[in-house]
Amino acid sequence: MTIHDLPVATKQTFSVVGKSVKRSDTLEKVTGTAVYAGDIILPGMLHGKIKRCDIAHARIKSIDTSKALALKGVKAVLTHENVPRVLHYGSPHPRSASVTKDQYILDDRVRYWGEGVAAVAAVTEEIAEEALGLIEVEYEPLPAVFTVEDALKPDAPAIHDNGLDENNVLPPVIVERGDIDQGFAEADLIVEGEYDLGRPTAAYMEPNICVTQWDGNGKLTIWSSTQTAFMVRGALAEVLGIPLNKVRVVVDHMGGGFGAKQDLFQHEFLSALLARETARPVRMEFTRKETFFGGRSRHPGKIWLKQGFTKDGRITARQARVVFNSGAYGSHSPGVTNVGTAAMTSLYRCDNIHLEGRAIYTNTPIAGAFRGYGVVQTYFAIDLQVDEAAEKLGFDPAEFKLKNAVREGDIAPSNHPIVGHGLEDCIRRGMAESDWYTVRKAPKGDGVKRRGWGIGCEMHGSSAYPGIKEQGNAIVKMNEDGTVTLLTGTAGLGTGAHTALSQIVAEELGVPFEDIAVVQGDTDVVPWDIGAFASHTTYMGGRAAQIAAADVRRQVLAHAAPMLEAAPEDLTIVDGVIMRTDGSNRSIPLSEAVAPQRGMPAIQLVGVGTYTPTKSYSFGAHFVEVEVDTETGEVAVLQVIPVHEIGKVIHPVAAAGQIEGGIQQGIGHTLSEDYVIDLTNGRSLNPSFVDYKMPLSMDMPPIRTIILETAPDPGGPWGAKGVGEDPIIAIGPAIANAIHDAIGIRFRHYPITPENVLDALRAKMKEA
Amino acid sequence: MTRIVTMTVNGEEHELPSPANRTLLDVLRAEGGLTGTKKGCDVGDCGACTVIMNGKPVNACLVLAVEAEGADILTIEGLQHGPDRPHLLQEKFMEHGGAQCGFCTPGIVMMAKALLDENPAPSEDEIRFALAGNICRCTGYTKIIEAVQDAAEELNKARAQ
Repeated sequence: MTIHDLPVATKQTFSVVGKSVKRSDTLEKVTGTAVYAGDIILPGMLHGKIKRCDIAHARIKSIDTSKALALKGVKAVLTHENVPRVLHYGSPHPRSASVTKDQYILDDRVRYWGEGVAAVAAVTEEIAEEALGLIEVEYEPLPAVFTVEDALKPDAPAIHDNGLDENNVLPPVIVERGDIDQGFAEADLIVEGEYDLGRPTAAYMEPNICVTQWDGNGKLTIWSSTQTAFMVRGALAEVLGIPLNKVRVVVDHMGGGFGAKQDLFQHEFLSALLARETARPVRMEFTRKETFFGGRSRHPGKIWLKQGFTKDGRITARQARVVFNSGAYGSHSPGVTNVGTAAMTSLYRCDNIHLEGRAIYTNTPIAGAFRGYGVVQTYFAIDLQVDEAAEKLGFDPAEFKLKNAVREGDIAPSNHPIVGHGLEDCIRRGMAESDWYTVRKAPKGDGVKRRGWGIGCEMHGSSAYPGIKEQGNAIVKMNEDGTVTLLTGTAGLGTGAHTALSQIVAEELGVPFEDIAVVQGDTDVVPWDIGAFASHTTYMGGRAAQIAAADVRRQVLAHAAPMLEAAPEDLTIVDGVIMRTDGSNRSIPLSEAVAPQRGMPAIQLVGVGTYTPTKSYSFGAHFVEVEVDTETGEVAVLQVIPVHEIGKVIHPVAAAGQIEGGIQQGIGHTLSEDYVIDLTNGRSLNPSFVDYKMPLSMDMPPIRTIILETAPDPGGPWGAKGVGEDPIIAIGPAIANAIHDAIGIRFRHYPITPENVLDALRAKMKEA
Repeated sequence: MTRIVTMTVNGEEHELPSPANRTLLDVLRAEGGLTGTKKGCDVGDCGACTVIMNGKPVNACLVLAVEAEGADILTIEGLQHGPDRPHLLQEKFMEHGGAQCGFCTPGIVMMAKALLDENPAPSEDEIRFALAGNICRCTGYTKIIEAVQDAAEELNKARAQ
């Protein structure tokens, strides 16, 4: 067990919540029986494939599909000429300010190298693949831009006609607090820097996949690997012009998403259209390469940041310009820009703030939602610069961060007051666990390999409020044997969400965890859900499940009251037994109380929970030791001590698993992961798992996870908050700051590659 | 040209039709109905399709089905001892939280099985080395390593008794 600190929550003892019960989804996973969308095999099923362009920006002059259609086994070919032309949202969040409406299923124009231009359905994958090569496309090249700098030039081509100049995806986001000029005037020290951010991608293990089928009544069923089943339903219905009750989206298990599977992808439309045209089921699976071409990366970008500090260590002013590279479509750029920019108001306290955030179209693959959603980028800049200021002012960096940490009552980026002192608690605990002062003073080594320690901090909201007004729903039914069925629309990305929700229902009802069964992943059956993203599943979906369970509990107690000759409020349920609380020892097993009478259910016990949350914040501080090889430039992360404050912990092992996995992805984008685009022609240079370098079993250091419950939020079930995105945010700055501790060089970009380290070491030597 | 390939899969003889250019992975999944073995990259980079072939772990996407003629194949579906009787490795993955999204899990469990068959008491470094070709994107590997270590210890204890 690596969790050191799980203090019992105040006032209440728990029988299921807070225990690492056996997850309800893992037996199927370890035995290979879990059904993912790609495991659906239907009679007569065809295989669909997408033809992708090999030019970054062009108008399609002509597409000749005759040879492809003539190939034996090809059943249909779609191009922009025979699919509905409906402008649709890149991500199907309902009419929110987070996403843009700038995509067609297939357009007569391509805006990045690798965009789909046609689709084929054939009896085998091999034939479909062969047919792609027979489709002849003639392009009229258009001038293309691959960097934000070029896209902003006055003579740059307009990639979309959205009424905004300079390829802006959205009007600039401006956030102001206090008086920025006054703030800088009060400063004794001003630190300014530019931070350059690479293009990491989610690299989920399960490639995008869907299987579509129409029935005889014109109803579409789609099995898809998506985090947002109801959003997929809504967008498909809208674009295909059919009502919601004619679209059924099914997602049982899914092989990871990390945020990037909340867009609606070309293949989901194309598969549905191919299936309709051929009157046969169609399966469309991305190759691994296509997950790079057609997937969504984190936004690359540049951040210019300037802050003012006093000698005694206060931050007096913070000014920033954030420019994100959106790629060829807007996708989540409005959300990412708003969330990432607004996040800079917080973390370290400052009253005088001026921030500007922008997202710019370029002819590169699409950036979208990915764990950390803009905040990975902006907190990388802030934390590095605060670390730098601490050094310049003669403070220990951890002490300096503690001194400036956001705290109870401060105004959060969402404009709500912060609850509790979570960040301070994390920093203090991490300093103690790492023996901070000792390790920072330890010799760095004078040989080839140098060691150092760094600290990075973060906070992140559970829920996408205020960008999206969210809603979680749940239905809880008690069966006539006392067992319980939870119906939830939240997706099972692999986080253990359904287990956590079951624990919450069991706890609220007073029944054993094993008595809860979950029905999920079918939009025809479960209540509406906005999707699994924004670290909100436990916070929002969990609260909705708790409300629904409480509803059932009330009904059960009212039903049982006459049997125990007591008022409902004088009854409780403990471990499946209803008992009087007056000490009279009178009780009745739940199964008996709700048992059928003359073969008929005695009562229909159905509870509905709807919850519209605002937002809570979780906090984290990562303490990291690195070793820099000054001959090869390689940086090895030797150990990580992540301390996270996430309110009431529902399932400690699952929560720790989220933290450790987030650290893995964060080490990746900080040191090696970068989806590289050729800046001369827009071509993808490393769309494979061999060339896109992720930290694997040999690279991952020991991680000593510490979870605190010191700042529970009243909005979540028993104070629970989110944890999904937090760990990927703090690890990056912690590593960069540790590298500085080891070799005295401050990098202001990621990934920090061995080449970068060697170049910087050489430059430093020259200077000396 | 489609050929009939005869192989033993999970202890049973199977005759599976396959074109000459189709991989063992695709044939196991589509013809054999054994979808527990996953396709994460189809080019041998990710290890999600690891099965045990004639006692050795292989990426089923790098083996042509016709090459498996006469072979003895063990897939994730064949690992448990019977209904409701998971293999110890499967138990330990559940207990330690070694599976999150679960997509890499069958491949990793099979690779761990191959490791323990050959080296019943691996060190942490040996486990990490054995799993170097299996990508997991969810766990950070911590809980996977713990699960394999724990399974190895328990298997050895059982052997010693």
